[in-house]
Amino acid sequence: MQRKTTVSIVLSAAIFLFLEIAALAILRRSSTLQNIWLNRAAMSVRAALWGGGETLRNHFSLSAQNDSLISENAALRRSLSEYQQLEAKGVESRNSAPRLDRNFEYLPATVVKMSRNSAHNYIILNKGSEDGVLPQSGIITSEGVVGIVTAVDRHHSYGLTLMNYKLSIGARLASNGVLTPVVWDGRSRDGAIAKDIAPHVAIAQNDTLYTSGLSTIFPADVPVGVSRGSKLVDGSTRQLDVRLFQSFSSLRYVTVTIFKDKLDIAELEKKGEGKL
Amino acid sequence: MRLNEYTFKFLLLVIAQILLWNFFNFSQYLTLTLLPAMMLTLPHNRSALYSMPLAFILGLCVDLLCGVPGLCSLALVPVAFVRRSVMGLIFGSEMFVRGENLSFSKHSPGKIFLAETILTAIFLLIYIWVDGAGTRSLWFNLIKGGVSLLVSAPVSFFIVYILCSESQTSKWK
Repeated sequence: MQRKTTVSIVLSAAIFLFLEIAALAILRRSSTLQNIWLNRAAMSVRAALWGGGETLRNHFSLSAQNDSLISENAALRRSLSEYQQLEAKGVESRNSAPRLDRNFEYLPATVVKMSRNSAHNYIILNKGSEDGVLPQSGIITSEGVVGIVTAVDRHHSYGLTLMNYKLSIGARLASNGVLTPVVWDGRSRDGAIAKDIAPHVAIAQNDTLYTSGLSTIFPADVPVGVSRGSKLVDGSTRQLDVRLFQSFSSLRYVTVTIFKDKLDIAELEKKGEGKL
Repeated sequence: MRLNEYTFKFLLLVIAQILLWNFFNFSQYLTLTLLPAMMLTLPHNRSALYSMPLAFILGLCVDLLCGVPGLCSLALVPVAFVRRSVMGLIFGSEMFVRGENLSFSKHSPGKIFLAETILTAIFLLIYIWVDGAGTRSLWFNLIKGGVSLLVSAPVSFFIVYILCSESQTSKWK
């Protein structure tokens, strides 16, 4: 009995569908307006079916697409990293000091860390022995002298800045070529002292001091500072009050100056000392 | 004997429907239809397997004489398809068990009105939607459907009354 009912329902549904389709077919043939409308509806249904099928197919291919996206992401990250490195090198190069002396190599570097608030201030750079940095290399910028590298590891180097009591650099007065050591005055961020100048030497106001070039640390003629005044010390030497060109407040990029024949010179010095 | 009388009335109402759609265009917001009510009054023992082809042919005849061929058939076949379900829902399955036809003496006029209103609403819904063919707004179709149902339902109730009226002898047999 139940089977008969089921058959009847299925048969009714089939006849219903058949008659509706027949009515639609007749309607489509008999009226242009309905024909266009039905075509449009059929297209919409077809598009929805195709779209659904495509969505389903995409869903099952998500794993492959994910793998592809992961590979693409990795490639993009690599490219980005390369571009970032190039950009960093470019920024360092743009901010580096001008090449003054052919005996020196000039290596752009970025300041990793720098202290300014103690009597023994230091600086750490992002270039080390693998980049060619040697101990006793100079640190300069286009403004002036920053400090000296004292220790080096593979990827970083440690140096003392001019704001450190222990550091003394050899300078030369522009007006008369007199040599003088320059040290920090211990008070301000831009103050230094040029000492041990003979009292008879005439010092011009605002005389500029440059590196002497008599060492293997700095090339010659790197600007150091300008004299603000002088005074006699103990009646035997004259001391210059110097305003440094280099601002230590906003230092980000520097140039490391590496004397090309430093190792040969050091060996030569050792040999010379041995003969004495 | 009753069948002949019923068939005669049925055919007359088909002609009335054709005349109505051909010569009485009251408003663009009104589609007056008698066909769903006529389908409701078909004998109870006529299942959907019988009533659906009848609805299709009936709709096609009306369409050929006064409308777009296929439109009325498209709307009337679903009415025939759900006719027995709607009747079972409203009048109960006892009606089919006892083998009763629709009758004003045995069934509540309110229930008859509800049944024919539901069938008329189904017919109008499909007819107006397909007739518009996407060229008319939803609001227009809703207003037209509402107005047509408001007018067609009472008229259809009267049609059901005409088709289901019985002589005194048949009422108490």
